[in-house]
Amino acid sequence: MTETLVAQDEIQSVARQCLAQGYFLESFTAVDFAECIELVYHFNHWGPCQRSCVKVLVPKNGGSPGAWSTPSISSIYKSANWFEREIHEFFGVTFAGHPNLKRLLLPESSEIFPLLKSFKGEPKGADVTQSLKLMQEDTREFKTQEAVSLTQKNKDYYLNLGPQHPSTHGVLRVLLHLAGERVLAGEPIIGYSHRHHEKMMEIQTYLGCWPNMGRLDYVGAMSYNMGYALLAEKAMGLVPTPRAEHIRVLMTELNRVSSHLLWMGTFLLDLGAFTPFFYCFDDREKILDILEMATGERLTYDYFRFGGVDRDIPAEFAPAIKDFIPEFKKRLRDYDKLIRQNIIFEKRTKGLGILTKENALAYGVTGPSLRAAGVAQDLRRDEPYSLYPTLDFQVPTSTDSDAYSRYWVRFREMEESLKIISQLVDKIPAGETKLARIPKNFPKGEYYSACESARGTFGMYLVSDGTLNPYRFHLRTPSFSNLNAIVDMLPGCVVSDVVAILGSIDIVLPEIDR
Amino acid sequence: MIFKELIKIIIYGTLVVLFISVNALFLVWAERRVSARIQLRRGPIHVGWQGLLQTVADAVKLISKELVLPKEADRFLYILAPMLVFAPLLSAFLVLPLAQNVVIRDLNIGFLFIFSLTNITFIGIFIAGWSSNNKYALLGSMRAVAQNISYEIPLLLSTMGVVLLTGTLKMSELVPAQAKGWFLFTQPVAFLIFLCSSLAEANRAPFDIPEAESELVAGFHTEYSGMRFALFFLGEYTAIFISSAIAAALFLGGWQGPLLPGLVWFLIKTYGIIFIVMWIRWTFPRLRSDQLMALAWKVLIPLAMVNVFVTALVLELQKILA
Repeated sequence: MTETLVAQDEIQSVARQCLAQGYFLESFTAVDFAECIELVYHFNHWGPCQRSCVKVLVPKNGGSPGAWSTPSISSIYKSANWFEREIHEFFGVTFAGHPNLKRLLLPESSEIFPLLKSFKGEPKGADVTQSLKLMQEDTREFKTQEAVSLTQKNKDYYLNLGPQHPSTHGVLRVLLHLAGERVLAGEPIIGYSHRHHEKMMEIQTYLGCWPNMGRLDYVGAMSYNMGYALLAEKAMGLVPTPRAEHIRVLMTELNRVSSHLLWMGTFLLDLGAFTPFFYCFDDREKILDILEMATGERLTYDYFRFGGVDRDIPAEFAPAIKDFIPEFKKRLRDYDKLIRQNIIFEKRTKGLGILTKENALAYGVTGPSLRAAGVAQDLRRDEPYSLYPTLDFQVPTSTDSDAYSRYWVRFREMEESLKIISQLVDKIPAGETKLARIPKNFPKGEYYSACESARGTFGMYLVSDGTLNPYRFHLRTPSFSNLNAIVDMLPGCVVSDVVAILGSIDIVLPEIDR
Repeated sequence: MIFKELIKIIIYGTLVVLFISVNALFLVWAERRVSARIQLRRGPIHVGWQGLLQTVADAVKLISKELVLPKEADRFLYILAPMLVFAPLLSAFLVLPLAQNVVIRDLNIGFLFIFSLTNITFIGIFIAGWSSNNKYALLGSMRAVAQNISYEIPLLLSTMGVVLLTGTLKMSELVPAQAKGWFLFTQPVAFLIFLCSSLAEANRAPFDIPEAESELVAGFHTEYSGMRFALFFLGEYTAIFISSAIAAALFLGGWQGPLLPGLVWFLIKTYGIIFIVMWIRWTFPRLRSDQLMALAWKVLIPLAMVNVFVTALVLELQKILA
């Protein structure tokens, strides 16, 4: 990873260069230091990973939060839009040239900058009445527009899809601008399940951060465990025991299959097919039973530890997996016949929600949604970690970049995960699952590491000052960038397609809102 | 004389309403059991024998629920709509031939009468969506009206083949005309078009776009609660029963069959078709509204027209040859 420090006014030209060279903005965050705010941009390349870290210092000059300004790159990288809004509300950095620098995750009226070190947790900012007033002002703006346009010929109107809606997969609001049923524009509005994990982890010990990992993406929590383990082992220089390594990969892949199964069921539910949901959940239950044997948990896994795993697997674990694999392979064949070859499914999803490569790059889309656009990017292969270099598996891609190919890519990913599982299940080596001695804290320094979760690249940026708690812990979650990309997929489709597109990119809201 | 008629009307009316309620309760239970069998579940099994009383319990719950009236709704239309959806369906039972010589009124316009009256329900659906003052409800009712108007055409055209074969619209004459062979075998295309269109007319999956819950929350009845909501439900299941009964009468030989009495045969055939309708619902994803329209106008209507044309041609040729 290359690291460069550039001046504030140079960042736009640097970003333009990066975009021209095919880099996408993987992670973008800030760290609060005494004299300045440090902005940290992580650019990454499709294919074999070539990370490049660019830093910009925004001097405080004794001013108050909100007065610190720096040029925005949201006109170059579309994904920077939300990143900059997030930094704005947490650090009080103003991005000059940003089109819509509103609060993103916190309530509309909050006036706090919680990630500044000067913030001591005063319980102000979440003024409910003020928030409501601001929201009403928002809707009043829409109402007047509506009233004007109803008297005119173009009868367009606004529809809030969510936050209480059966198909937003959590508390998400999509503000739709409609003409009849046709969507003119749509904007996802997030932050309803924001818990501020990053601040939470700043006051916790490193060991105490483990439970947070299971509560971000509760559908595929094992990958998040894996991510933190990789980061810690990179920082502390630990090598996990071979037995733990095997168990970890098994767990992560089983969890990936269960995550894709949940996605498949809910995606078809969005398309109006109820029955697949129950079949997918039936299979998912079996996986959860297996995972529960070892972890004792069924959803928010908190299983990995520095240099190993929390508990050893029981004796019936491997036989249970061996029973499950042939059963599930049969089921997969049924799914393929009943779902993918169904003409209504095909008609509904083919050509729907096209994500072009340019947009995928600009929005920093990763994971199966990106692979469905024809880019074979998978960190398990491009930046091999854990046991993955020794394993035989393919990275499925598709070229149509529509909802249908996203389904097809995820479907084949389940088969690949099964392949990995069957390679490992017979040769789990005996031995310890934990290291004897583990350091309590990270050595002083900054660390970045990423892994492939079920939804895309999960990156973690950690700054340690050598004390017992992280100084700054930023989580780059895949759905955060993937969700933003629907802005360019929605125009032109109809209301029925909005839920189908939302379903096809596979979002988990707590991971977006953090 | 008038007094006798009045007594007749009261008795028949009571019987029909009673049948509709029991039928809806049974169909809701059947739907839940069928869907459960399809979806690896068991469905309601605890309340009563095989869970038969579960829907009764649900009905009691619905009756005892508060009737919510949205603040911004158009009060009069909002209350009127569920009744307007439900009431016209009663009329259909006037002309249904339940068994030999068991027809309340054997009108000579027969099933045309059913179609024309049951279509009033769509006005009710539109009023429901409009008066709720909810954008989801409005979208749902918009879709319902567009869908129902489009599918009315193939539905009626598909029955024209049968009318050509028999030369009558009278239900009591259509059924005996199938003594030698069901019209299902002479008019298979018409039967499929009829089944397809009646699914769309009854807003059933895969054509349930007016109430698509994953898109429009609950479509046109989003704002309704309690008994008003139950009336929509009752209407939906009654509509399914009526269109299946018509299909049984027009294509499956109605009450005709060996050994068992006519009414039993009629109900067996009707519920057989209803089972297929449920099976379809729990198997397929939902179509999109524009695809639904395309299906009606580009596939079903031309196909139905060709069917009518071919039937007429064959009949004429037979005449010439004879």
